[in-house]
Amino acid sequence: MNIKIVHLYPDLLNLYGDRGNIQCMVMRCRWRGIDAQVKEYRLGDRVDFSDADIVLLGGGSDREQQIVCTKLQSIRSDFSAYVEDGGTVIAVCGGYQLLGHYYDTPDGRMEGLSLVDLYTQQGSPRLISNVILKNEEFPYEIVGFENHGGRTFIGDNKPFGTVAFGFGNNGEDGKEGVMYKNVIGTYLHGPLLPKNPHVCDRLIGTALERRFGSSQLEPLDDEDEKRANRYIVERFVKEEKQASDR
Amino acid sequence: MDIRRMTAVNTAKAASWASRLLGKGGTTFSGKLAMKMDPSVLKDLAAQVRKKIFVTCGTNGKTTTNNLLCSMLEAQGYKVVCNRMGANMLEGVAAAFAGAADLAGNLDADYACIEIDEASAVKVFRYFKPDYMIITNLFRDQLDRYGEIDIIMDVLEKAIRMAPDMKIIVNGDDSLAAFMAQETGNPYVCYGISEKVVSGQENSREVREGRFCKNCGALLEYDFYHYSQMGVYHCPSCSFKRPAIQYDASNVSFGNGLSFDVSGRHLEANYRGFYNIYNILAVWSAVSEAQLPTDRFNEVLGSYKPQFGRNEVFRLGESRVLLNLAKNPAGFNQNIAAVLEDKTPKDLIIVINDNAQDGKDISWLWDVDFDSLSHESIRSITVSGIRALDMHLRLKYVGIKSTTSPDTASAIRQKLSEGCKNLYVLVNYTALYDAHKLLQEMEKKYEH
Ligand SMILES: [Zn+2]
Repeated sequence: MNIKIVHLYPDLLNLYGDRGNIQCMVMRCRWRGIDAQVKEYRLGDRVDFSDADIVLLGGGSDREQQIVCTKLQSIRSDFSAYVEDGGTVIAVCGGYQLLGHYYDTPDGRMEGLSLVDLYTQQGSPRLISNVILKNEEFPYEIVGFENHGGRTFIGDNKPFGTVAFGFGNNGEDGKEGVMYKNVIGTYLHGPLLPKNPHVCDRLIGTALERRFGSSQLEPLDDEDEKRANRYIVERFVKEEKQASDR
Repeated sequence: MDIRRMTAVNTAKAASWASRLLGKGGTTFSGKLAMKMDPSVLKDLAAQVRKKIFVTCGTNGKTTTNNLLCSMLEAQGYKVVCNRMGANMLEGVAAAFAGAADLAGNLDADYACIEIDEASAVKVFRYFKPDYMIITNLFRDQLDRYGEIDIIMDVLEKAIRMAPDMKIIVNGDDSLAAFMAQETGNPYVCYGISEKVVSGQENSREVREGRFCKNCGALLEYDFYHYSQMGVYHCPSCSFKRPAIQYDASNVSFGNGLSFDVSGRHLEANYRGFYNIYNILAVWSAVSEAQLPTDRFNEVLGSYKPQFGRNEVFRLGESRVLLNLAKNPAGFNQNIAAVLEDKTPKDLIIVINDNAQDGKDISWLWDVDFDSLSHESIRSITVSGIRALDMHLRLKYVGIKSTTSPDTASAIRQKLSEGCKNLYVLVNYTALYDAHKLLQEMEKKYEH
């Protein structure tokens, strides 16, 4: 078995350790005897979604994001067809914002891909924190780190998780990220996947399901991953508790 | 005599002495106190510097460059104010000046060599305008504190514009730093290395900053890279290119010690790490620009004792321990390269904390090329510090085994007793002080 991971514009969108997300997906496939190939597309390349199984869209600085968003419109219809067909996408930080309709900043509007019904507005201050999310679809918490100026609003869409610690999409509604079909958008980096093997396996699972009609994943020894995840949960839940006791 | 300044200076001295006694090592507190008692203490003391004020900015190499420059000046018999311990925010700078003043609140100094945190320069320059600024390089560092590299560049540029007569001494091989220096309109000179020294850099997976022309957004083209974004570059679609290099190192060799020629002189130092070529070049440029004598340059390089945690060697009985600070991807990659230059068997301890000064966001660990640590000369890797578990995972995902040991002291002790007598300890910022103190105490015990 083999799958193809498409990494969009790593030359521009690589701000928060996206290499870790790629590395995590590749290794967790390899440990199960699945060959995962990574195809990187640069700005101006024609992106072929037909053999893509997982698409990763990472984060960049505002300036770099601006460069990307002007070029993104040319792949919009292919990308949208891929999403509607159940294609797996993981979009982080800036990539998450680009999934939506637009990102408004004082310098003007950055048009997004409108793949998911959401929008983002710049706010102040930047929301910077360790994050813990809860989501019943996953066996244990999702942990990561957020650092974003944008406030994202996802309407009636399902969030990636509810915020147990940190700010989330906008610091107001207690939601973080978005889940739409097989798309996950999130502000969590750190990177996201190594300490959240359950999320990584879900991405691999939905990709295998679509390609081969089966998503039975051989379990791996995740003791190290779970320990690192657990550490964050216990440390910041404790911090939260101490703060509320004061 | 200015009573207010005198009181401020003396209070700062007392506070600094007291905090040293308490083992805090923090100069920040005493500087804060001095500025509170006399808001113009920094301005007044800086104005008393008789000749020139040098400042050093840039992501990596600040402390080494600044301290080496200070040593060069002292070797010529000058009196120099210097924040040697690397306290480089506004309060730390104030503490350095207050600490150098006499009890009457007066300063007897020919020069000042001050390293300044990039984001703090705008604050410091309200009190004095330096004559020279060295910019070593601009890398991604501590993301959660500054946001992004663009923000650092903006705020540093703003500071430079506050001192339009200040001459910039910039690493011309760094497209980001060079572009910024040109943008400000300040006078500037460049140092760099125009010959290809390192092979195989084209295929490196290293994350490089500033791949894009800051002027027009096009992808920069490189003749070759030294490391990270350092190299010989030009923009294919606008006029931006690597500026003319006034202080150009040639016949560069590095590995066990390093040497090169510049301005017709041969320089040699017993340091490791390619990045130290740039640090020395920066100092050479500064000394030359200020038209100071360079006759004792090699001598000072030879006797220079690095600031703690910069290639610092400890002898513990039969074991050699090398302690090195590695706080961002570019620094870490360079440190790993330096570890691998030593071909003999070795143990490695990596300590990662996530305190405020380290950056609470440790995602940068995934931008470091740890893959190269799967090297036969590395006999064991122990991970420690607050984020040991993350570091352990980081290595797991490149197929490298490591042992987790939350307590750094016991990790070091264990490797000393059962390791191969050649230990490297790579630490990020807040882990440095404890590791240094521990190794120093252990070294003392061995001496007696
Ligand atoms: Zn250009």
